[in-house]
Amino acid sequence: MSSTAATAARSVRRLAAWADPVALRRARLTVVPRPRARAPRLPFVALVSAILLGGVIGLLMFNTSMQQAAFVENKLSVQASNLAARQQALQSDIQRLNDPQTIAAKAQAQGMVIPLDPAVLHVPDGKVDGVPTPATADNTPQLWKHQPKPTAPVAGGTSTSTKSTDKLAKQADAPKHHHKLAASAG
Amino acid sequence: MRRTEPRLDGNSDEPSRGTRRGSPSLRLRVGFVLIAMVLSAFGARLVQLQGFDPHAYAQAAEKENLVTQVLPAQRGEILDRNGEPLADSADGLMITADPSVTAKTAPALATLLANKLNLDYTSVLTDLQGKAKGAGPHFVYVARRVPAAKAKAAVAAAEAKGFKGLYTADDPIREYPAKDVAANIVGFLGTDGPLAGLEQSLNGELAGKDGKETYEVADQGTRLPLGPSTTVKPVDGTDVHLTIDRDLQWYAQRVLQQADEKSDALNGMAIVMDVKTGEVLALADDPTFDASDPSASPKADRGARSLSEVYEPGSVEKILTLSSLIDAGKVTDRTKLSVPGELHREDTVIHDWFPHGIIPFTLAGVIAQSSNIGTVLASDRFGTGQLHSYLEKFGLGQRTNVGLTGESPGILPSMSQWTHEIQDRVDFGQSVSVNALQEISAVNAVANGGVRIDPSLILGKAVTNTGQVVGTDVATSHRVVSQKAATQMMKMMERVPDPKTGTAPQTQIPGYRVAGKTGTAQRAVNGRYDGSLTVSYAGFAPADNPRFTVYVVVNDPRKGAIGGGVTAGPVWQKIMSFALRRYGVPPTNTKPSNLPTMWGKGVNHHGRP
Repeated sequence: MSSTAATAARSVRRLAAWADPVALRRARLTVVPRPRARAPRLPFVALVSAILLGGVIGLLMFNTSMQQAAFVENKLSVQASNLAARQQALQSDIQRLNDPQTIAAKAQAQGMVIPLDPAVLHVPDGKVDGVPTPATADNTPQLWKHQPKPTAPVAGGTSTSTKSTDKLAKQADAPKHHHKLAASAG
Repeated sequence: MRRTEPRLDGNSDEPSRGTRRGSPSLRLRVGFVLIAMVLSAFGARLVQLQGFDPHAYAQAAEKENLVTQVLPAQRGEILDRNGEPLADSADGLMITADPSVTAKTAPALATLLANKLNLDYTSVLTDLQGKAKGAGPHFVYVARRVPAAKAKAAVAAAEAKGFKGLYTADDPIREYPAKDVAANIVGFLGTDGPLAGLEQSLNGELAGKDGKETYEVADQGTRLPLGPSTTVKPVDGTDVHLTIDRDLQWYAQRVLQQADEKSDALNGMAIVMDVKTGEVLALADDPTFDASDPSASPKADRGARSLSEVYEPGSVEKILTLSSLIDAGKVTDRTKLSVPGELHREDTVIHDWFPHGIIPFTLAGVIAQSSNIGTVLASDRFGTGQLHSYLEKFGLGQRTNVGLTGESPGILPSMSQWTHEIQDRVDFGQSVSVNALQEISAVNAVANGGVRIDPSLILGKAVTNTGQVVGTDVATSHRVVSQKAATQMMKMMERVPDPKTGTAPQTQIPGYRVAGKTGTAQRAVNGRYDGSLTVSYAGFAPADNPRFTVYVVVNDPRKGAIGGGVTAGPVWQKIMSFALRRYGVPPTNTKPSNLPTMWGKGVNHHGRP
């Protein structure tokens, strides 16, 4: 319905435009421009400037404080890592001093020895288990090698082939030749 | 449906409004053309960047500005049973440089760094110039694993002189504070990775996983604070606790070293084992090496011979043979034997270490005086293959699998090779090869009342590189001989340190009951016996309630008196005394065994021939 009405109106308008275009334009309704009220400019400019200025100053301050924090962080982290390195160095020192070899060398330098035979003292009744013997230097091992020794080739394992059992058989009495060397038996 | 379009181009027939500023439509048109031109230029550039080979551009940008740095994971420590470090990671730093900055001042900076860090000048120079292999335009390693304090001092000195473009980053260092103590077990780390010992076999546990950090740098190499960066945190490695007691290990190594020097021996091994748990408290090898300076020692000394090298154990083997024979019910500790001076077997003549006529030994006497002939005569009572299956149960011929690579399984002749002649020699420890840890585990079974426990080097458990789970948590045990057989064997072994009856009075510990056995074997070198010897001593104390088993082997001693008792005995005695004292093991205050060693009329039943 309305579409028919609209079509009809449009055909009338087209007809009118064909007949007298100037009259049609004049007959059209247009919006009258609203009279422009001129607002005072100063407050607006002041507000915008204030916002701009505030923003710039705020950014600057924010930036500065970030920078400051970064400097402090940097300084503190350098300090922390220096302290960590120092702690590590000290720990290494402790470990070096704790090394049994170092302790033994220092003890030996002070004339201390490792006791020979174990014995247990029961404190409550003063009873001694085991045979206490005076400590001598006998059980204290020599701490350093006298001279480095060249390494000899690796000894081979046993071969159980018939061939080597033959050799075994021939040499089975070998310990006999060695018994003069041996103060104790094997 | 047509709508009237807004006529932006203005109405040419309408009187123009602002003639002073030109026509608005013209201005708009010109404006649009300008904007369109600029946008087209952007669009063209976009198509060029994204359409044609975008990857090359992305890579170029990355190469120019992105820096990727590895964040090393902290390697797990290796600690002894008391938590003392045998290998630990210290804070170290890597010094890196931005060659685009340092290239200009390279010679002067290289001189300074080379002096401060003890580096080679030329290699530092090529690094700083960015000509080194693997150097990026903004990143190159100058030095790695530098102690933190030293690296910081060097970089600070460079900065003080106005040099720029040097950076440091975490790069842990491996330290071996005890140097050669337990180095044979711990192994060491080369510059590119683990090269020996547990460092190598447990690398999967220890290594952890390196992280990665990627960040953008500005032109001068300074890091962009808000630039894109990705960080993958490193995962640190797991600590490994050993059963080793560092101080006992140290003592064992020094005593062994002294004995080896004194007797001019080729090498030596000493092992201390906790009887009840199979934990290895000390495993000493001599010669060994300094883990913090491995290159100072020959390559052959940088492993654990006590596991990798096999030898014929000699008479220590009689402990296994005769306890098996007792367990099989064929003999007792008092079985009477008539032992002739030599024994003719097939094509072989078996001798004892001392010439003698017929001696009326008891089985205890055979052990006390270490008679080969007596052992062979007694062992004739074994059924076919019986000894073989006992020795298998004692663990001979099989790897102990404690977690170290390169262990040799030893050679126990297979049943198809097993002949009467071979058994005769296996009886007293020839024609059979063992590694030292195997042998002590077998002897420990006798100490432990007949139950063999797998030896362990690692407290808890760990997974080796081959996927094997090792450690005290997974150690199993099984009975090899009866409690009765083990007790009889112990009583016979107590006659060995007795000066009236035995061969090793050097191993007595006053106040304590000790049981042991000497061993003197011919060494097989390149498949034949060359006349050199392997002397050893294995035993446990206190005999009736044993706490430790100690085994000492000295290979090819060439100087002075040579024998299981004289050469290995004192080492054994010192190490055992140290262990008993260190762990506060009191004497049992029971009467030592007084088994007769000989029988018949007119001989001292508690004496020696």
